[in-house]
Amino acid sequence: MTNEKQKQIIEFTNVSKKYKEVEALIDVSFVINKGDIFGYIGHNGAGKTTTLKILVGLIRDYTGDVLIAGESLKSHPDFSNLIGYLPQDVGFQEWRTVNHALITFGLLSGMKKSDLTQRILEILEMVGLTDVRHRKIKYLSGGMQQKLKLAQALLHDPQVLILDEPMSGLDPTSRFQMKNIIRKLAASEKTILFSSHILGDVADIATTIGIIKEGVIQRIGSPLELQNELTEGDAIELVGHNLSASITKIQALPNVERVELTSNRHDRLVVTYSTDTDIQNATILLMAFLSENKIAIQNFNYLKPSLEQVYLKYMAGGTTQ
Amino acid sequence: MSFAILFWDELRGFVKSKIMLALWIGMPLLAILMHFIQPDTEGLPISVLTGMLISAMGGALAAVLLSTSIVNESNAKVYDLYLIRPVKRHNILLAKYFAVILNLCIATILSLAIGLLIDRFTIGLPTEQIFMATLDSLVMSIAAMSIASAIGILIGILVKSVGLAAILSLYLGQQLSLIVMLPGVYFENINLMLFSAAVGIPLTIIIILVEIFIFSKKQF
Repeated sequence: MTNEKQKQIIEFTNVSKKYKEVEALIDVSFVINKGDIFGYIGHNGAGKTTTLKILVGLIRDYTGDVLIAGESLKSHPDFSNLIGYLPQDVGFQEWRTVNHALITFGLLSGMKKSDLTQRILEILEMVGLTDVRHRKIKYLSGGMQQKLKLAQALLHDPQVLILDEPMSGLDPTSRFQMKNIIRKLAASEKTILFSSHILGDVADIATTIGIIKEGVIQRIGSPLELQNELTEGDAIELVGHNLSASITKIQALPNVERVELTSNRHDRLVVTYSTDTDIQNATILLMAFLSENKIAIQNFNYLKPSLEQVYLKYMAGGTTQ
Repeated sequence: MSFAILFWDELRGFVKSKIMLALWIGMPLLAILMHFIQPDTEGLPISVLTGMLISAMGGALAAVLLSTSIVNESNAKVYDLYLIRPVKRHNILLAKYFAVILNLCIATILSLAIGLLIDRFTIGLPTEQIFMATLDSLVMSIAAMSIASAIGILIGILVKSVGLAAILSLYLGQQLSLIVMLPGVYFENINLMLFSAAVGIPLTIIIILVEIFIFSKKQF
């Protein structure tokens, strides 16, 4: 096995799934490497949950192949020890307490009862539910129930976490806590695949982003790659006094495509370069020009397109890869 | 392994949700009520009368209990958290089935024992005939409840509405389970205990096998 293959923990190859007449997934292919935080984004009904359910074995009648740690899901259908799953919509029986639910799921995951007590304490501490350990689940808030879903997914210490809309229904504080937990888990070498229809959540924590629309993967890449691909060229923002007087000279610098000016209390110039420009060299030249001409600036920024622009581009019917 | 965990979990659920309490107290209470509501049983011992009542009512209870519980849990996606673990699908159904049957059997035995006690104080010591008739009732009740429970599970798997599941369970679960009582109505000299067991066991097994097959193909 090559090093590249050894790094891959999840591999989807031409996976398709149909619900009666509706094609939920069409030739979905992607690879997730160990330690990645893969943010899977798309509108409601785009096919995110179907993808995740295939991965955890809840959907079995699909075409194509899914490899987990190099083994096919079809020939080795039980990867439950390797995978922890936080489902989007799931209920707990009303009579259960937090502690009892975790004991049951732990035992069903094959854990020993003697190990469970300590492990439950650790997990509850991690997700911030220690105080409600003996409370009935039906009396927990939506945010607490979401954390409990995460707790049951973490109980058996899986290497891969599949989280379906983990931030859904959380208030801003819980959302912040959930993101921190995910980051901590990734730092402890867990591989995380999470879905969301909220771009901000994905942009905040994902190391790789997959965009899906109507069952078709539109684009996969790191946040930086996706941002870079959208721009016509890098841009630099300058803020200072009387910058408008220098527009013509800046326009004449190598590779400058256009210069836009907005004036308020200060002048704000946006210098856009052509796509093949080495932005480091361009910055040096621009700085040298400003220095030679004794032009004082108060602010200097590299401008990148936002992930929102990238997302909207694909959702509006961008190219399919 | 997963069967034992799920079975004890179901029993715990019955205790926590007070269903076990309602069955264990409610059904024996019926036996006592029978004595006060219908003191003139035209020679039929209370134990036998209770047995007949429980055969009919216990079956309906079991069918409704199982079907509505499965529909509720399926709709709430409770099973997702089981099925992502090394749990065999059929164990989920079998654990539910045996937990309900165990509860109902204990409630039935308690009810019949109270019926026998009442008979002891009203018509004297139970004769061998009364004792055998009570035993017949017990086996018949269990056979009827076994079939009804199996039908309840089948309805729970096939139906998505709790209301519809309850109605179908009452119609089908109760009526079909009474098949074990029919020979007693038409023939006088038939061995009811033997017939109930001979019909109840294979019919229950067949229905359970069918539902295990359907459940294993079900999409979650």
